[in-house]
Amino acid sequence: MHQPLAFQPLTASDSPDIMAIANNPVLWICVAGVFGVIIIQSIIFMKAARRAAPSVDMSAQDIRTSFRSGAVSAIGPSLAVSLVAIALLGLFGAPAVLSRIGLIGSAAYDVSAAGIAAGSMGAKLGDASYTQSVFAVAFFAMSIGGAMWMLATLVLTPLLRKGDAKIRSVNPAAMAIVPAAALIGAFSCLGLTELPKSGIHVLSFVVSAAVMGTCLLLAKKLGKSWLREWGLGISIVVGLGAAFLAVGQAAGA
Amino acid sequence: MSTTTTTVPTTNSTAMADFNRTTSRWGQITMIAGLLISVAGPLYLVFGTGLDIGPAQLWIAFAAVAATFGIIWIVEPLTYYPILGPAAMYQAFMIGNISNKLLPAALIAQTNIGAKPGSKRAELAAVVAICGAAVVHLISLAIFVGLLGSWLISVIPPQVLLVTRLYVLPTVLGAVLVQAIVSMKQPRTTAFALLVSAVVVFVVLPLVPSLAMVSTAIAVLGTILLAWFFRGKSTVAAARPIHLE
Repeated sequence: MHQPLAFQPLTASDSPDIMAIANNPVLWICVAGVFGVIIIQSIIFMKAARRAAPSVDMSAQDIRTSFRSGAVSAIGPSLAVSLVAIALLGLFGAPAVLSRIGLIGSAAYDVSAAGIAAGSMGAKLGDASYTQSVFAVAFFAMSIGGAMWMLATLVLTPLLRKGDAKIRSVNPAAMAIVPAAALIGAFSCLGLTELPKSGIHVLSFVVSAAVMGTCLLLAKKLGKSWLREWGLGISIVVGLGAAFLAVGQAAGA
Repeated sequence: MSTTTTTVPTTNSTAMADFNRTTSRWGQITMIAGLLISVAGPLYLVFGTGLDIGPAQLWIAFAAVAATFGIIWIVEPLTYYPILGPAAMYQAFMIGNISNKLLPAALIAQTNIGAKPGSKRAELAAVVAICGAAVVHLISLAIFVGLLGSWLISVIPPQVLLVTRLYVLPTVLGAVLVQAIVSMKQPRTTAFALLVSAVVVFVVLPLVPSLAMVSTAIAVLGTILLAWFFRGKSTVAAARPIHLE
């Protein structure tokens, strides 16, 4: 709809076959690397916790209970995240989905960052303008965002450990309003940007939003917190189902 | 935070000091490694595969994302620190999905061993619980997304895959927008956000299409300014910490 500012001509080196580069072996090696780093970190932290446990009256049984509680309570959320990740496989490919949506980031951030990055190249995710170059830049934007989160953690954690009063005394009104305004503003603009694309985009958006609203309402009314965890996955599946039916109708008519 | 009671034998404080030293040093080393590896993949795609992408394009994309999420990058570690404690910070921001997975895991573990919030036992329980959650998460990702997902992509009909690719974005954003509005409970900010975004998407962009690449940043800035200048007293009191990771 909008004319791209920095239009990427569809040259031979810029094919729309995303999966050809999304499954590049180097990306799979990086995924394995991130998995490996998390495993190594968990082993080191477990050992350190076991060594320190007796000094704070924590028995070996307490450690086992804590580990098992963490593992069991993560089953539901992990499966819910996996469902969302599977829905995004066709758009980003397995390595990017595994390292971005599965680990480090979250579906909300990474999909938004990818959309913004594609927009900065005058392209849209998923349609004909979504070329290999757009995918590479979108993947970069998702990853650099995750890197900034880690960088902030690396810088702020030692400062907060020292109890730096300056950081904690940020204006509470600003802390309450500014981040919430930034997030709701970002998601509403990104969401509304989808609407002029086509009637089926509108349908997918509205159905998914309605399903999420219903899930959150039922979660509150019935006290079923799993509905909150699975809300995003259920909304995506139902929304895509509606889009598929609409496409079929349009083709049959 | 400081438990300097005279009744505690000195070995206790040295054991915890050892824990703090180990987790802080190795937390930093592993997080830096995770950071570098996660950025290496896309940088290889951009510069190592013959795609025609200049550094300028990366900077523009980065600036566009930073204009939207830059505040969250800094605010989120600040709001999680009091809940997670220093050691778990290095785990949480690398594993991700903190609010929907890691926090519940830590809280349930603390409850199950009867650890008081803020105590040393609670801190250790959180670290151990996050290790347990990480194991489950890595296994389920490897099986359901890595193996099952890749197989699924290869067997589902191409037209289903095409529909998924075309319309997954509006479904994710529709649900995420509702989730953000409901969880943040700021009706005034929500109204401003929808108003500003509608003006940007349906009025400004059709008139000035070249603003497409900064449209989200404009909407974010506009929403922040309006929400700030027309803030109500109750908003500040009722505000809840924001969680995106």
